Amino acid sequence: MATTTAAVTLTSDLLSDNMSVSASTTCMKAGTTADGLDQMEYGYVNLVTGDEYDLVGATPTATKASKLYLKNHSTDETYFIAVTQNAQAIGKLYAGDWMFIPADFHDAAGDIAITANGGTNKICYALFHEGITLVTT
Amino acid sequence: MATTATISLSSDIAPGFGGITESMTLTQAGNLVDIDSTTGFQIRKLSATGAVDLITMASELVEPKDSVAAKIFIRNIGYQGAIDKSVGVTIGVNAEPIGLLYGGDWMMMPLTCIDADDITANPATDDTVVLEYVMFYEEA
Repeated sequence: MATTTAAVTLTSDLLSDNMSVSASTTCMKAGTTADGLDQMEYGYVNLVTGDEYDLVGATPTATKASKLYLKNHSTDETYFIAVTQNAQAIGKLYAGDWMFIPADFHDAAGDIAITANGGTNKICYALFHEGITLVTT
Repeated sequence: MATTATISLSSDIAPGFGGITESMTLTQAGNLVDIDSTTGFQIRKLSATGAVDLITMASELVEPKDSVAAKIFIRNIGYQGAIDKSVGVTIGVNAEPIGLLYGGDWMMMPLTCIDADDITANPATDDTVVLEYVMFYEEA
């Protein structure tokens, strides 16, 4: 079985006592407890301002499990990318920010789309999944 | 007053993939000032299918500023120590499904915090499951 592990450590001193949360999970195929995600895409792109672009070129199979990691590697703190799914705004990733979600590619319109703001943003992404529909030439 | 998050991804799917380890300090939008507000750490027990609000943006005691640099962390911790990785809870924003959070899985994503963009949770089954979550945001 292919094994993909995602771990996080979250700390904050905003509360009166420091908060520290650690979590780790093995990314499995949909509906299984013994079969891990077995396909992935990994990329780094420069995203110019202006248009909105689909981050994932081919559509991962609907109803299957997918995990998406996305980081804005820009260094100018005023730069950000706006992230949407199926035209619904999710939020903004400023320079240095990352996100990790169980992406639901329920149909072609469900792609994750990103728009650069401030200047050319540098984006790293990794998609772990269990199958995609390739685009025919 | 710093809030930090570090992710480590490892995988043996693709030969040569060396993994990813990245940290971020949660800052306010467009500057390097630390983010300053949080809902605090919370849990929500769900025992039936059907979408419910984890966070109703218009009902927060401290109004979050819209369309800036908010983040949310959510984790499916199962129930009473039992974690079923084969079933999960669909997390959504304003009725748009973002993804299915299986037992033990976690997610972290940015938020708009505008009133329409509530964070919803919809379990796949009637089995009891607990989500833990915390939101960081800027005060309006």
